[in-house]
Amino acid sequence: MIVSGVPRSKRAAIWWGRLMVMTRKELIQLFRDVPIVVFLIYSFTLSVYISGNGLKSQLHNANISVYDADHSFSSRDLIHKFQPPFFSFAGELSSSNEGQYRLDRGTVSAVLDIPPRFHEQLAAGEPTAVQLLVDTTNSPQGLSAASYAARIVAQFGQEASLARFGGSAEASQNLPVIVSDHRVWYNPDQNETWFESISHLLRMITIFAMLLPATALVREKERGTIEQLLVSPLTPLLIMLPKVLAMTVVILCAMAVALFGVMQPIFGVPIRGNLVLLFSLTALFVFTTAGMGLFAATITKNQSQVGLLTLLLIAPMLMLSGVTSPMEAMPPWVQYLMTLSPLRYFIDVVYGILLKGNGLKELWGHVLAMGLLGGSLFGFGMWRFRRQFQ
Amino acid sequence: MELAEPIVRVLGFVKRYKKHVAVQGVDLEIKRGEIYGLIGPDGAGKSSLMKAIAGVLTYDEGAVEVFGTLIDSERAAEQVKQQLGFLPQGLGLNLYPDLSVEENIDFFARLRLVPEPALIERKARFLAMTRLDKFRNRAMKKLSGGMKQKLGLICTLIHEPELAILDEPTTGVDPVSRRDFWTILAELLRERGMTALVSTAYMDEAARFHRLSFLSSGKVVASGTPAEVQALVPGLMVTFEATPQMEAIARLKTQYKQVEALGSLLHVFTEETIHASAMQSITSSLGDIRPVHLRVDEPELEDVFVALLLRQADQPPSAEMPRVTALAANHGLAIEAKGLIRDFGAFRAVDRVSFQVKSGEIFGLLGANGAGKTTVIKMLNGLMPPTGGEGWVAGADMKTAGGAIKERIGYMSQAFSLYLDLTVEENIRLFAGIYGLNRPATTTRLEWILSMAGLKGYESSLTSRLPMGVRQRLALGCALVHQPRVLFLDEPTSGVDPIGRRHFWDILSVLAREEGVAIMVTTHYMSEAEHCDKLALMFAGRIVSEGSPSEMKRQVETEAGRLVELTVDRPAPAINELELAGFAGVALFGTKLHLLSHDPEGDEPRIREICAASQGVVQSIKTRPLSLEDVFVYRVMELEKQERKQTTGVAA
Repeated sequence: MIVSGVPRSKRAAIWWGRLMVMTRKELIQLFRDVPIVVFLIYSFTLSVYISGNGLKSQLHNANISVYDADHSFSSRDLIHKFQPPFFSFAGELSSSNEGQYRLDRGTVSAVLDIPPRFHEQLAAGEPTAVQLLVDTTNSPQGLSAASYAARIVAQFGQEASLARFGGSAEASQNLPVIVSDHRVWYNPDQNETWFESISHLLRMITIFAMLLPATALVREKERGTIEQLLVSPLTPLLIMLPKVLAMTVVILCAMAVALFGVMQPIFGVPIRGNLVLLFSLTALFVFTTAGMGLFAATITKNQSQVGLLTLLLIAPMLMLSGVTSPMEAMPPWVQYLMTLSPLRYFIDVVYGILLKGNGLKELWGHVLAMGLLGGSLFGFGMWRFRRQFQ
Repeated sequence: MELAEPIVRVLGFVKRYKKHVAVQGVDLEIKRGEIYGLIGPDGAGKSSLMKAIAGVLTYDEGAVEVFGTLIDSERAAEQVKQQLGFLPQGLGLNLYPDLSVEENIDFFARLRLVPEPALIERKARFLAMTRLDKFRNRAMKKLSGGMKQKLGLICTLIHEPELAILDEPTTGVDPVSRRDFWTILAELLRERGMTALVSTAYMDEAARFHRLSFLSSGKVVASGTPAEVQALVPGLMVTFEATPQMEAIARLKTQYKQVEALGSLLHVFTEETIHASAMQSITSSLGDIRPVHLRVDEPELEDVFVALLLRQADQPPSAEMPRVTALAANHGLAIEAKGLIRDFGAFRAVDRVSFQVKSGEIFGLLGANGAGKTTVIKMLNGLMPPTGGEGWVAGADMKTAGGAIKERIGYMSQAFSLYLDLTVEENIRLFAGIYGLNRPATTTRLEWILSMAGLKGYESSLTSRLPMGVRQRLALGCALVHQPRVLFLDEPTSGVDPIGRRHFWDILSVLAREEGVAIMVTTHYMSEAEHCDKLALMFAGRIVSEGSPSEMKRQVETEAGRLVELTVDRPAPAINELELAGFAGVALFGTKLHLLSHDPEGDEPRIREICAASQGVVQSIKTRPLSLEDVFVYRVMELEKQERKQTTGVAA
């Protein structure tokens, strides 16, 4: 900008004033958009609660039905081993065909088939077998149902053979046994709601950080208001930065609500690290992700296009950055690609600060990576912004 | 026309959108074979009424009868739809942008089950008539606005409906394409015996209709033939020059409701019907200011509509222009363009354009759609870098001091470009902040804008709830927040009602005359171009004619002659004959014909003879002052003729 004869201090004051009016304008516009505000409030309150409370990947209350052809002491004993919270007993069946039928209908997730002469063979020391049919349409649930059931049956078999050899459980002490004991760090109760609610919060932050500034910019193009800004003395930076600033403020407030309104009081999620650090790094993450959204906004013409494009960017980020499944489990090329995803770093930052109590000492590499990514994305977005109108 | 039974009958029509009443009790009857017009500003209820007649919108009260069928249900509407053609509002909105001209026509024909041989025959005829036959394979999105509308018309009429309903087919189309559109429509309707219901926001198009209804805020203000409507407001239009102009306007406004400044001319509508007494009453109300070049004419239809509107409603909040200590009125050059060029790929949109605009001058840039007007403005205000040439705006070089220019200019773009979800005051404060005004300056300017634009009482209303005319004044206010020395207006008044438009121009002339602001404006309303001090006409990227409105009219008068208006009982067949006989500017206006002649008295017998040969009896023949629209159309037609000659010459 060429402003001749205006002192530097006055120019800085004008620049600052412009930044403030533009940011204020973005905030007013956002809060007048009722559907977005409702969606925002829902996403950072109720939806965090639901995902923390409702999303379970552990086995919980799997319906199991039994076809018991033996009706003996041993068969009833085995059936009694399938207990809540893992299994819930869904009744006996009159034939093994009915078990098949119920699996097909989806009313039970496992069927235990105990053959006739089960007790007799067990008592006689003959080998015997039970059949377990498991619905693994939902594979993690099905597989863990199968493995739990296998453990229950194995333990039952072990007890049965011990009873046959030594007659008592104490006798087992004489047998060679390896005990595998583990200690769980950072989340000693293995409380899944912590993990689920934090990853949901991360998802919401990513979506809003990308979408809000992008739609705000595209809306200006769509409605033609951008022309009025372009003929004014605003630089591209002063058109784009206020959008990011406004959305960062909103997202930080929303995160505070989710953290102190839902996650801490209801789920007891601990905050072991420094809060100021957490919020500053969230701001950095929002800035970085917004850069990506703004870039998307410069290559699209209307809100539906930018919505679809950001979806295309967000979906792999959310799936592959390590929120849904661990980074290490992915093929190398995905791991390389994901070094470009700011979320990949932000996940470690948030889990680190909240659960492990990490500080900058452990996280500086991630901070640097996010800063570099954000700077270059924002710079690229600005370059595109200038280009698109020429 | 006289014998026909009505094919559309509307009684006590009421349409509400939630609480807002869009149309309140409209009656109308359309007879077979006529072009029936609905005229009125945006939001008058034209579209609602047309959609209900087309059977695509339900209504709340009253009755709509089409071809004798009462349209009261979806099923009733389906029955008449085959006999209807409906062209919705918006340039080419019903067409498919990626399909070619021919594919679009084929699609609509097959949708309407037109038999293949009939399709081939009609397509050939319609394409030839609209001169779109050269562009058969061009994608619709690459057509100009006027061409899109012609294609839209073909697609609406391809199944030869008995009734064509056309919603604002000429909005956003330049005068030449508009005139062309009307000629084609009239010809098609006559040839195929169709009836049409057409709406328009251009008051000067009223003369094109056989009968019309003038709507305002959901009510019919006047209806009948153009002559009948004109007779509702007897009066005369007095035109003269008077200096000082501002003082003369102030004096006249105490007595007359319609006072307009057109460049150096003043236009006053008086209800006197005798020429001499009209002149006398004007002279006496001016006091010691002496009017010169006094002339008295019949009023245009637009003046009549404005008078009707003023009679019906109270005056809109009249804006008192608060006087501001004028910026050092510097009478140097405000804009200078020297050989500006802009290429888009191989296409040259602007070709060596040069002009100068002084401070305090209103400069109008005219031209057909795609002539390059908007591109020139965008280059001057820094939205687009030029490919070549030089320019200075507000004392700064376009190439090196873009930032400085941006601080000194105001710009109002074609589309409304303020924030609809902010209130009036928030919008003004936003732009005050953007232009770096401090707190006390913001407060003073806010006050000034509110009173200048008549926005008092609207401060905290959302911009989206404002009527069109008020929005435009707000946009002007925001463009003026930093007291720019140069103001660019790109089609600022499209869709604004005539009173709103006149109000808007009052503000502009005060800005130019008293504050010395240079104003550069583009417009499609030729009645508005009359307000400019200087005009430049663009054609294919070049400026082809320049001068004040009266100079431009004089040039055409010396080149092609004076404007003659004929009232002929069967005018249409005579058009071709008159053109063949060498008359320029032959055009059909409802039941009247316009043409240009060097010697109207001498040519009269010849004209009567030609009309009689094509079974038309000339009822009256008189000369009229040339309008700028006539000038525009004449110039562009001549240039197109030359261009055709050149291309055929090259081909041969």
